[in-house]
Amino acid sequence: MANISRKDTKLHSETLNIEDSYTNIRENADLVYSEWRNPIRPRIDVAIDTSSLANGALAIKRELVKLVAERNAVLDVSQNHGYGMQWLNPLVTITWPDGTSIVYGPVKLGNIPDIIDEAINRSGAALHLGIGLLSGDHSSLVNLREHTFFKNEPGERRLIKRIGFTNPDSIDHYIGTRGWSSFARILYRGMTPDDVRQELLDGGLGGRGGGGFPAGMKWNFLAGASDSEHYMVCNADEGDPGAWVNRVILEGDPHLLLEGMAIAAYATGSQRGFIYIRDEYPLGVERVRNAIKQAEEKGLLGSNILGSQFSFQLEVVRGAGSYVCGEETGLLSSIQGQRGQPRIRPPFPAQAGVFMKPSNVNNVETFSHVPLVLQNGSSWYKEYGTEAMRGTRLFSFSGDIPYTGFMELPFGTPMKDVLESCGGVNPGEKLVAIQSGGPLGSLVPASALPNLTLENSSFVPYDAMMGSGGIVWVSDRTHLIILNEYISEFVEEESCGRCTTCHGGNQRMTEIFRRIMAGNGRREDEFNLKMIDDTLQHSNCVHGQFSPKPMRNLLQHFRHEYDALVVDRKDSTLTIPAMTQFRITNTADRRIEDAVTICPVNAFRGEVGNRSIDDEACIRCGACTEIAPNAIVRESRVDTAQSII
Amino acid sequence: MPLETEARAEIRSLISDLEPDDGKLLDALHRVQHRYGYLSNEALEVIAEHLKMFPSHVYGAASFYDEYRFDPPASTTIRWCSGPACRLENSNGIRDAMLAVFDLKELGDRTNDNQVEMINGQCNGACELAPLIWIEKQIEHKRDVVGKLSVTKAIELARAISNGEYIEEGHETAF
Repeated sequence: MANISRKDTKLHSETLNIEDSYTNIRENADLVYSEWRNPIRPRIDVAIDTSSLANGALAIKRELVKLVAERNAVLDVSQNHGYGMQWLNPLVTITWPDGTSIVYGPVKLGNIPDIIDEAINRSGAALHLGIGLLSGDHSSLVNLREHTFFKNEPGERRLIKRIGFTNPDSIDHYIGTRGWSSFARILYRGMTPDDVRQELLDGGLGGRGGGGFPAGMKWNFLAGASDSEHYMVCNADEGDPGAWVNRVILEGDPHLLLEGMAIAAYATGSQRGFIYIRDEYPLGVERVRNAIKQAEEKGLLGSNILGSQFSFQLEVVRGAGSYVCGEETGLLSSIQGQRGQPRIRPPFPAQAGVFMKPSNVNNVETFSHVPLVLQNGSSWYKEYGTEAMRGTRLFSFSGDIPYTGFMELPFGTPMKDVLESCGGVNPGEKLVAIQSGGPLGSLVPASALPNLTLENSSFVPYDAMMGSGGIVWVSDRTHLIILNEYISEFVEEESCGRCTTCHGGNQRMTEIFRRIMAGNGRREDEFNLKMIDDTLQHSNCVHGQFSPKPMRNLLQHFRHEYDALVVDRKDSTLTIPAMTQFRITNTADRRIEDAVTICPVNAFRGEVGNRSIDDEACIRCGACTEIAPNAIVRESRVDTAQSII
Repeated sequence: MPLETEARAEIRSLISDLEPDDGKLLDALHRVQHRYGYLSNEALEVIAEHLKMFPSHVYGAASFYDEYRFDPPASTTIRWCSGPACRLENSNGIRDAMLAVFDLKELGDRTNDNQVEMINGQCNGACELAPLIWIEKQIEHKRDVVGKLSVTKAIELARAISNGEYIEEGHETAF
């Protein structure tokens, strides 16, 4: 009896110490964050993220710093992450001492004096750039939550609630917004790993990688693995072109991911973790590495975390440009310093993962949900979403729409509402297809739109999948086979090369698409494409198995377009090079000489005033019609338009 | 064992804190390429020696990944975005026109004078700028993004680069 009681006292004092350590960190961070929200002098934050950088945000920030110094303005300049409206980048946020924050954009270098004036005296100098309020009130601007782009988002953001409100490079901002509290609570309440996994299972968190497999159950496999050395791995190799939802977390709230991974590690007895980030996200690599360093300095990662017995070492592995490393076993091979070839299962990662030790791989968004579910409980988590897919997830939207950006949406949101918030398809164009799920995903016909929701089950009747969050809207301006040829070449190039079905099959598929596009489609192409499809099903991993899906969708849902190419050899969109030609319709037009100058292959023949285009030389880039739209037309090519029979 | 030259010592110093059998190969390759712009045979040997791997393993693994290169980069690298949003904006036309200006056959090729190379780039989600290209100085780690291109603008840009008249727009990204 005496022994047990002594042990209890020891445990009790240890958890007390842990609570004290966290409270200390928390009090300091709360102070820092409240000064950030109510600064003693106005502050201008430039959004710094991959998209903002591409729009010139660094130049904006440099100019701001320079002008503020020149004018001796009583202002601070710092950074946050863009709020999601990427078509309005670069964004700038001003926060005043009363806690009002207004977002402005798109900000050009010439607007910076106005931005500074506005920050100093709130005279309205930059009001013409005002998009909306992050917080506070304003006589003529509404809160960003009321912007049409976000009308399908929950009333308050959940997973990305810190985006725009914090500096992603500051761990104090994270902790000052209840960050690391879920993890600290686990330690100071003395919860066992079993308790944590059970709480997560009760919360109902489904994996965000696509399958929706319960995260708690996946962790049970690892917790139950025999070896004592366990690894926790985060798949941040977001390779699907047109999807950048993981990037938003890596660059916008990296600390959230770390806390989720630390909890996962505790719940599964993992001592070490890896975050595998794709090479194309250098800012994400930088921000996550910085977040790890800060967490180590605060004693939240590393040895004996917060004075407890628990230790967890976390590090970033930067990928090097390989799509197939996003397949979880390819990722494990890559971390080990091998070719990123997916492995043959079994053994599964929970039995033999990194260095052949038991491991668990989850998606960025899955880990990032963990602290939220533990903090807010299951009923909060289930407020949004559907029976099958609970909660919200991030989506990125691009293609033939006016509003490109990202949103956090409940599962089950109707796709037609989503299209509306993206501004509909571009004026004068008609929706033809929805490309979802990346190159291993689908081409869903526009006619499906009324039946589609942001839930995988609504895509299934179209032999399609919703995928990992990237949605590309495709209008009638471009022929679909251009996307098919691209996707097919992509999966061919990115095949790891292990299975002949995959590297050979996708090569053949690309060749067939190219021949069809050259106007040499054959009747047996369909049979051959279907045979390739069947063969690919025997590949080892999902890369091979899923790679024919967009081609299958083309044959299923876009029969008319396919037949027009193969049988009639006609391209109504006039975007396929070999099926179109350029012709001068008005030789007197003065812009023709500009077209002659711009032509990269000198395809114009004849004298001034009597020009013609040499069809053999022309590469159909389209520059001349851009320059002389009233004198040069792109039209169907006559000689390819003959029937197959 | 090969002689320890100054060059080898410098390569070794870049990776001296990395341990063998610890998942450090990609990091080692990144560091060396960041410094020199490519991975020389000598560098691969030093990395192999330091991480206690066969040089053949190091080369075999490195050659799997698109971003590792085994030749010095051209002065200017044009990374053409191959993503779907760009394809819907006639990025194929932009690719073909720029290749024609530089007199290159396909992506991955470079001009005879080593001034310009064009390579395939992957979407990183700045699709509001589609169609876009990245203009890079690999050795100096400078990257300029040029977006919302037209074919005309792309041709003018390519000609300016060829003539050494291109001025960076300042839309640089971390690299």
